[in-house]
Amino acid sequence: MLRITGGKVYDPAHGVNGVVKDICILDGKIVADVPAGARIINASSMFIFPGGVDIHTHVAGAALNFARALTPENQRAAAKFLHTADTRLGIGGATPTTFATGYLYAGMGYTTVVEAAVPVLSAKHTHEELRDTPIVDKACCLLMANNELVMDLLEKGEYERAKDVTAWMISAAKVYGVKAVNPGGVAAWKWGKNANHMHEAVSGYNKVTPGTIVSNLARICDELKLPHPMHLHCNNLGIPGNVSTTLETMKMLEGNRAHMAHLQFHSYGGDDWHNMRSESVHIADYFNAHPNLTCDAGAVLFGNAVTITADGPWQHLLYQLTGRKWGNLDVENETGCGIVPYTYKGSNLVNAVQWAVGLELLLLIDDPWRIFLTTDHPNGACFWRYPEIIHMLMNADFRMEQVRKLPEAALSRIFLDEIDREYSLYEVAILTSAGPARALGMKQKGHLGIGADADIAIYNEKADGELLFRYPRYVIKGGELAVEEGDIKSTRDGHEFVVQPHYNPDIEGYLREKFEEQYTMSFDNYPVDAERVHGMQMADCSYQKTP
Amino acid sequence: MGGKVSCTLGEVKNRADLIIYWGGNPAECHPRHFTKYTIMQKGKFIPEGRKGRTMVLVDIRETMSVKAADIFLQVRPSKDFEMLSAIRAMVKGQPVDPVLVEETGLKMEQLQDLVDRMKRCKFGVIFFGMGLSMTRGKHMNSAQILTLAAEMNAFTKFVAMPMRGHGNVAGADMVLRWTTGYPFGVNLCRGFPRFNPGEFSTVDLLVRGDIDACLVLGADPGATMPQPGIDTLRRVPTIVLDPKVTYTSQISRVHITTSPTGISSPGTAYRMDEVPLPLRPALKSPYPSDEEVVKRIIQAVLRKPAWLPGSKVAASDVA
Repeated sequence: MLRITGGKVYDPAHGVNGVVKDICILDGKIVADVPAGARIINASSMFIFPGGVDIHTHVAGAALNFARALTPENQRAAAKFLHTADTRLGIGGATPTTFATGYLYAGMGYTTVVEAAVPVLSAKHTHEELRDTPIVDKACCLLMANNELVMDLLEKGEYERAKDVTAWMISAAKVYGVKAVNPGGVAAWKWGKNANHMHEAVSGYNKVTPGTIVSNLARICDELKLPHPMHLHCNNLGIPGNVSTTLETMKMLEGNRAHMAHLQFHSYGGDDWHNMRSESVHIADYFNAHPNLTCDAGAVLFGNAVTITADGPWQHLLYQLTGRKWGNLDVENETGCGIVPYTYKGSNLVNAVQWAVGLELLLLIDDPWRIFLTTDHPNGACFWRYPEIIHMLMNADFRMEQVRKLPEAALSRIFLDEIDREYSLYEVAILTSAGPARALGMKQKGHLGIGADADIAIYNEKADGELLFRYPRYVIKGGELAVEEGDIKSTRDGHEFVVQPHYNPDIEGYLREKFEEQYTMSFDNYPVDAERVHGMQMADCSYQKTP
Repeated sequence: MGGKVSCTLGEVKNRADLIIYWGGNPAECHPRHFTKYTIMQKGKFIPEGRKGRTMVLVDIRETMSVKAADIFLQVRPSKDFEMLSAIRAMVKGQPVDPVLVEETGLKMEQLQDLVDRMKRCKFGVIFFGMGLSMTRGKHMNSAQILTLAAEMNAFTKFVAMPMRGHGNVAGADMVLRWTTGYPFGVNLCRGFPRFNPGEFSTVDLLVRGDIDACLVLGADPGATMPQPGIDTLRRVPTIVLDPKVTYTSQISRVHITTSPTGISSPGTAYRMDEVPLPLRPALKSPYPSDEEVVKRIIQAVLRKPAWLPGSKVAASDVA
């Protein structure tokens, strides 16, 4: 039992904007009232936010674990987490260890995270890591846009069966949503190729194009009534001039929902590295007019990062560009994965444009319910640097100071210096919590109404700039005080949300046969056992298309 | 710089038309490798199976694996690094000193033929064993072969994979990475993880005698470590958890018999390509699993008086 009193409450899902009122908590949920005798937290001169929700991050799984092994030099330089009576030891940095990940997210007021890229083949591993990620609630998205079983069916025009295969895979992997990464491009990468054009057949296929995959997968997600729409990483990520691909893709998605992941990396003009420029205005104009879409920023901050993506061909290009280490892991029949350490430099024109585009999108997309704060951790920057971005969004003067540090030549390629919008606290609450929770279809998250999960971040009103959101005064997770003034107080494990869409049971017979031919694991060993998913909570597949 | 460019074994089965084994004897050490994953299987894009694939073996001597190879290249012992350097140069069209090539025990034409095949193939894979990674040059050899595979991608699809073995060594590696950030050779003495192979790896700690107790799980260091390391195992209290009697268990202070994982107790094992597989026990065992024993050791340790500053766990708190 807990009563939080005297704080200014920001609960955008209920239109509450800085009103002083009590928040009561019982059994991990927010309730109307608690009896006298409940513990009282005095939150006067504090802001009360629903706990943060990260809609797109990479914190667990084979790819991240590969990156950890590949970059010991980063770990050596990173923050250390000491073993104490309450906490496990670990390492922060760009690829934090699982326990540190939980502490870092909670320490920043984030209580729900979505691991955005999981192959079925190694889903068991991802769940093991998430089990060791304390405090926060978790969910996963399954990589499906280069699944050859699905692509082979689309080639033959067997849409219904492709839908059943997708639904079966979601159930087998114990995940929450579907991710599409460089549709067709990763499958082509298995032959060392890429898929750069939406209407050209993918290498190895006659009919299937990236466009076919995108539109069919979006339709499948909607017809399976998944709470979260198709989570899409478009083709041609990071490449100058990719704005045309992104716009073309968005047009193909009309009539369906879609979440455009790390949109920053897909909003470039020009046709070469030398003349790359921001096209955020174009993207934002289209996006603003199309409410079927949500997106996350995928903002970039200057400094060290590790790029980790299922987008194998892009990572090969990045390896050739940077000459740094390259990790690659192609996953049979399903997807790929590439890793290249990367340093974003303010003095580099390309990086300067990338930095600006992320902020521009956050400022130009006018509905904060449709764009969310991410850095595509650890690709654009580490998640624990989110407060730096919030500071720049809330303070135009500070932002301009940063813009002025860019090389002169960058200014003609960006729009950031012409934008003076500032985020309000209310908008920040939407950007970091209410918005992503709604886009994920998590009804119990991202708000402080009665019945919501008691995940709450309480910030000191007086803290300045980025410090405001870096160090919450209290963080409450599931009704328990998890963090107090930067100290981890409780490390109770969170839940993992999964869905189980309906499929025709006959599909198992079909899959079993394909498995014998194409896989090296037996079919019975392939699905993740429910008991291996720690704190599993089933979410409904009940999305209804609004006419 | 290199990195690691790899894939899961199913990719090899479905696509590889050039398979190179380097410094290993899979016919005897990984007997199911040929038949399950690499040369014998019919794959999605290699419908003709064995006939659609070329297998090259590079080793210092003729082993049982030679029979399975289409091409055998016998490299002189300790000359792997030089041979790989020559291949990397030839792949890039750089001039190579024939004298250097001759020192590897191979002819220029043989290397040129290999390079041509590598560039011509649609999907090439190199599996490298301890004959490369644990002989003269060690990690430099591994770096060289991994870099070669990475660089080959400028011409065609190419990957490399170490031939890992020793039970679930890949699994231990995976768990250490997500809990400590490092794959092996991790020291936790300062309360946070530090990594320094050559200093904190098991063999180095044992040989230097830097430890005062040793818990051995699923391994038999007494059979493979250098003598000074074995002496340390003998000197300090060594506790072995193993289903069977081993060299190490015989010199240990305590041997706790555990049920064999995968046969009598469940769990997860990782393949050499880091794909996790569930283990489903077929038989019952009267012995506890490794996990159970370790859990009980942890409970017993917790009953000891707290030593950590600020620790809340006291002897009385733990039932």
